[in-house]
Amino acid sequence: MASKPIPDDIFFASITEINQKLKAKEFSAVELAKAFSDRLETLGPHYNALSLSLRQPAHREAKDVDDDMKRERFRGPLQGIPYGAKDLLAYAKHPTTWGARPYAGQVFDYTATVLKKLNKHGSLLLGKLAMVELAGGPSYRYASASLTGPGLNPWDPTRWSGGSSSGSAIAVAAGLVTFALGSETSGSILTPSAFCGITGLRPTYGLVSRHGAMALSWTLDKIGPLCRSAEDCGLVLEAIAGGDGDDPGSAGKSFYYAPAYARDLKDLAVGYAPADFEDGVDPAARADYAKALETLRSLGVSLKETKLPEFPYGPIIGTIISSEAAAIFEQFIQSGQVDQLADQKQIAGLKAGLEISAKDYLKAMRIRSLIQEGLREVFDLTDVLVAPTRSTPAPKITQPLDRPLSDRPAPANPGFSALIPAGNLAGLPALSLPCGFANGMPMAIQLVGRPFSENELLTIGKAFQERTDWHKRRPPLNAASA
Amino acid sequence: MAAQISRRKLAVVLAAPALVAQTPTASQPQDPGQELAAAREQNRQNAEQLAKFPLPMATEPATHFRA
Repeated sequence: MASKPIPDDIFFASITEINQKLKAKEFSAVELAKAFSDRLETLGPHYNALSLSLRQPAHREAKDVDDDMKRERFRGPLQGIPYGAKDLLAYAKHPTTWGARPYAGQVFDYTATVLKKLNKHGSLLLGKLAMVELAGGPSYRYASASLTGPGLNPWDPTRWSGGSSSGSAIAVAAGLVTFALGSETSGSILTPSAFCGITGLRPTYGLVSRHGAMALSWTLDKIGPLCRSAEDCGLVLEAIAGGDGDDPGSAGKSFYYAPAYARDLKDLAVGYAPADFEDGVDPAARADYAKALETLRSLGVSLKETKLPEFPYGPIIGTIISSEAAAIFEQFIQSGQVDQLADQKQIAGLKAGLEISAKDYLKAMRIRSLIQEGLREVFDLTDVLVAPTRSTPAPKITQPLDRPLSDRPAPANPGFSALIPAGNLAGLPALSLPCGFANGMPMAIQLVGRPFSENELLTIGKAFQERTDWHKRRPPLNAASA
Repeated sequence: MAAQISRRKLAVVLAAPALVAQTPTASQPQDPGQELAAAREQNRQNAEQLAKFPLPMATEPATHFRA
């Protein structure tokens, strides 16, 4: 039977729009999966975004979705929706590389909990997506620290996509999948989301099961969605959240996306540091950031100047990640396999991590208790914090990442520049929203809330995106054909 | 096939690896011994920062992550 044409707009449509069109039989799930697979297999490798195509199993699942829909067995908005998963999530009997050459042939006999959950909703896993090797390990110097090469930004392929969920962000930005799963230990969902101009959600620690995911840091790792909109993030989070006895860090909580029942925006206080939106960001983006603040204000929230408690966030999170990563990969390091990684800085960081003393690790974890307490006090006075997700646009792919990405002097007032490590250390949820451009590259704001306040963040995000269209912009490749 | 990519689109995408190849590689010391020394020095500096932070005995490690 000849396939029906899939209009280009569908590659950039929302989850709800696609699901409605499937129900209306404008196209079948098989036709949709085929069109997206063609696109993912053709464009994905050119952005170094694809680790493994799962065309065959996805198409078998798509046939089942079509059968279910014919019988009017509807399984919710994610039914028939094509997606991709960061290649640190196990998918039984298929390679799971963790983005690293030494693990290129690794195959598990089980499937990650989040992938099983999405399968139950009828979502179609089209492929495993590229990532920075070992999700970045303790640190890395170059964007090329990956089995698949540097993630190339769809907005400018000479620039980096961000990482470590690089393929996930690229695939969503370029319309290769409708949504993707990524992971964050400290910035690995928010950074690529910001650099690629998409919407990314880092859930509260423990809300989403990590069973079947590579561990980098037991006390920091989170799995979350990268999507085109806040609403899509809410729909995906509802499907993947929930308690899991196979994840020792599971909070045992579910999540129901219910923006209609969230608190009235007029009751919300949003804390911010004015310096972040002035000297703290790229000058080319300041006007857009000023508008973003104005848009937030127009939603009815009250903006109030707030300070982040002073802690050595960098040394604390660095000590914790290095210690836990070295413990997790101890055998890999001591066997010498570590030397097969691509990035010399990561190799050295993993080796040196084995030498961190228990005293220093525990000191970092004890100060972390104070950080959690300090942030609880911040949230006694405010409901949500807002700051630029990253202060600069995506760097060139050859630019060393362990040096300042901008020539601008560091602002006298650090504002919320440490919000990514601070939020991760406290296990807080965060939502990154596109809010403008700097010299043609996307810029974004992040909203950070109390633990398990995802509905509040998503409600603000949805309202923000009803008044702006940054999240609907497409990279030049697709804009040319739109 | 409806989902095929036009030649114009493909040309843009296929140019990406070429652009990458034209970009000069940043020079960085990649000597493994130097890298390891630098990583150890980073850990030492981190420990120094942590040591400046006095903590009362009752401050326990963050092992619970609850709302």
